[in-house]
Amino acid sequence: MKNNETKQNKTSKKNKSSFTFIPKLTIVLVIILMTMIAFFGIYVPVQNRMEDKVKSYDLAMDLKGARVIQLTPSKGTKTTVKDQEGKEVEDGSNLTDEEITEKGYTKETLPLNEESTFSADNYQSAKKIMEKRLHYLGVSSYIINLDEPSGQITVEIPENDLTDDIGNDLVTVGKFEIVDKDTQEVLMDNSDIQEAKVMYGSSNTATSNGTSVYLEISFTRDGKKKFENVTSTYTNTTTNTTGTTENTTGEEQNETNETENNNSTENTTTENTETTKQVEMKIDGQSIMTTSFDQVVKTGKMQLTVGTASTDQVTIQKYAQNAQNIAVTLNDGKLPIHYDMNKNEYIQSDITTNQIELAAIVVAVIVAIMLIIFMVRFHKNGILASISVIGAISLFLLLIRYANVTLSLEGLFGIAIVIGLNLAFIDQLLKKIRQNEQEKEEKVVSHAITETYLSFFAIILPICIVAIAFCFISWTAMSSFGMVMFWGILTLAIYHFLVTGNLLKLSTK
Amino acid sequence: MKQNKNKIGLIVLLLIIVAGIAMIVIKGFAFDLKYQDAKRIEIALGGTFSLEDVKSITNEVFGKDPVMLQKVEVFEDAVSITAKDITDEQKQGIIDRVNEKFKTEVKAEDVDIITVAHTRARDLLKPYIFPFAVATVVILAYMAIRYHSLSSAKVIAQTLAIVILAQAVLFSVMAIARIPIGRLTIPLVLVVYLLSLIGCTNRFEKMRKKDLEEIEGK
Repeated sequence: MKNNETKQNKTSKKNKSSFTFIPKLTIVLVIILMTMIAFFGIYVPVQNRMEDKVKSYDLAMDLKGARVIQLTPSKGTKTTVKDQEGKEVEDGSNLTDEEITEKGYTKETLPLNEESTFSADNYQSAKKIMEKRLHYLGVSSYIINLDEPSGQITVEIPENDLTDDIGNDLVTVGKFEIVDKDTQEVLMDNSDIQEAKVMYGSSNTATSNGTSVYLEISFTRDGKKKFENVTSTYTNTTTNTTGTTENTTGEEQNETNETENNNSTENTTTENTETTKQVEMKIDGQSIMTTSFDQVVKTGKMQLTVGTASTDQVTIQKYAQNAQNIAVTLNDGKLPIHYDMNKNEYIQSDITTNQIELAAIVVAVIVAIMLIIFMVRFHKNGILASISVIGAISLFLLLIRYANVTLSLEGLFGIAIVIGLNLAFIDQLLKKIRQNEQEKEEKVVSHAITETYLSFFAIILPICIVAIAFCFISWTAMSSFGMVMFWGILTLAIYHFLVTGNLLKLSTK
Repeated sequence: MKQNKNKIGLIVLLLIIVAGIAMIVIKGFAFDLKYQDAKRIEIALGGTFSLEDVKSITNEVFGKDPVMLQKVEVFEDAVSITAKDITDEQKQGIIDRVNEKFKTEVKAEDVDIITVAHTRARDLLKPYIFPFAVATVVILAYMAIRYHSLSSAKVIAQTLAIVILAQAVLFSVMAIARIPIGRLTIPLVLVVYLLSLIGCTNRFEKMRKKDLEEIEGK
């Protein structure tokens, strides 16, 4: 009778064991597969070579390299041609010496920077303006240094499609002027600008359809009054359109000016031609537009259409970039000194792949030691939990690649912290399981998981707050750390509940 | 006994901070070469190369002085060598050795010594102040709510004290051990910040548990 009972017990244990063996094996195999993908990749033949199909890590400036732009105060000169009255002649630079003498013009060569502008104050001020421009352009990571004796400024920015534009925006002086077209009298300048920003609007007319990009210049209180005077003095009486002035800048300028002129011609034919005074808007001495105003503008805002209305996203983005480039040079004042771009080159990081690999090996060795300790201390549960931790780390490493997390040095430390948190969680969980087993509780693993989750997350909740707060910071180093921690903690919370918990439950059944 | 241990620990930490402050006043912080006033030269090697080969050359010329080597441009056919100071003789020495090793014909007059300005510590730290401030304020609010039974004001004061003390100890150790302020500084600050926060919550959780047990006991 007793023999029969023992036999039955053995058979039932064997059945249970075979019942849990297949799910356990499946989970372990999935973990092995995930680990292989995360650490070795998936290689497929592409044009006689093997290509890894797993997305590579997106590295930040400190690990990859940066564009280094060296700016020095310009020692260059500017040649201007003036007429008998002393007014600057447009396109004077295209005239030959003979033509200049013939027309009675005079040629003047002046330095771009007066000797008095080479001062420490101006260098500091230029550096501050450049920093503001970088901030306005949304550059998420940069280093800017000033060598005060020489005024040389070195800027390190991440390499991407916009890097060249950013470099140009930094050296643009940003001298803004609205001048009388005929007398070249300066009517408004940088001091009148409060803010310049890019705006979007939809237009749906017979001639244009789609999204329009505007550059809106808001003037200061004094600027507003000046602009009101300008618009009342330089009013185009022949047209009756909306109060805001529309014109074009950038690449499409000529094309749209032509269109505008055509419109004016159409209007004037019905209301006779009338000579209108015009103003010219200049940035860094270059004419951006010439216009007159349809009516007095009292809002203190000037809107300039950049390009034409379009439905094409790429075109809209291009116009927005043009507008942004102008806006950035108008905001935060003009550079007190002209700078030349001396060097503009991509320099790779001094942190080499070998150094990163070495750090990874050190972390791997520490993890391996910890896992061995788990295996020795907790036997079967320790082995399964160790396998599961490897799976959690692999999943996390895959996730940060596909979640487009940019990895900086801070991000690498974040990875190490996440690995540490995983190990700490498993250690706590295994200890709880052992404690529950000793107390001969029902549902040992389930209770241990609940208790571990509650106590562990109560302790690390401030880390979760830090992770979430840093995710919203645009500075790459901070966002990298925040994003890594966020995905790491999320993986930890979900993975261990679904995988480690089930694996340990199957093992204790 | 435990209180005595805590007191001794606190005294040791305060001594480290005092020594750190003294070191900062006397010698200041040490800075990583990347953030120091330095000199840089760029040499075109005409093909791919190993940084180790260049390292052996710079070791011969600069000895034990720190040198930063970086590959230039995407084709990786030029090297940038940054050192605290590069004299004309050192430049010539590097060029001679490079020409010998890489079979190039680089001329000294084609290589300029570029002055690299230092990065101000405040410029380095500026981008991090706001994120840390925001995170700390939110965490203090959370702590004050979660551990209100331990007196919110006391919890806030203790958390702030622990976080500040931890950072002060870190910077003092860096100043005393002459660990340069550089790219590893912010990651280290982050790690210490998180550890100090974990320390705080751990401490408050234990105190709360103790309080609850006492209430249940009564």
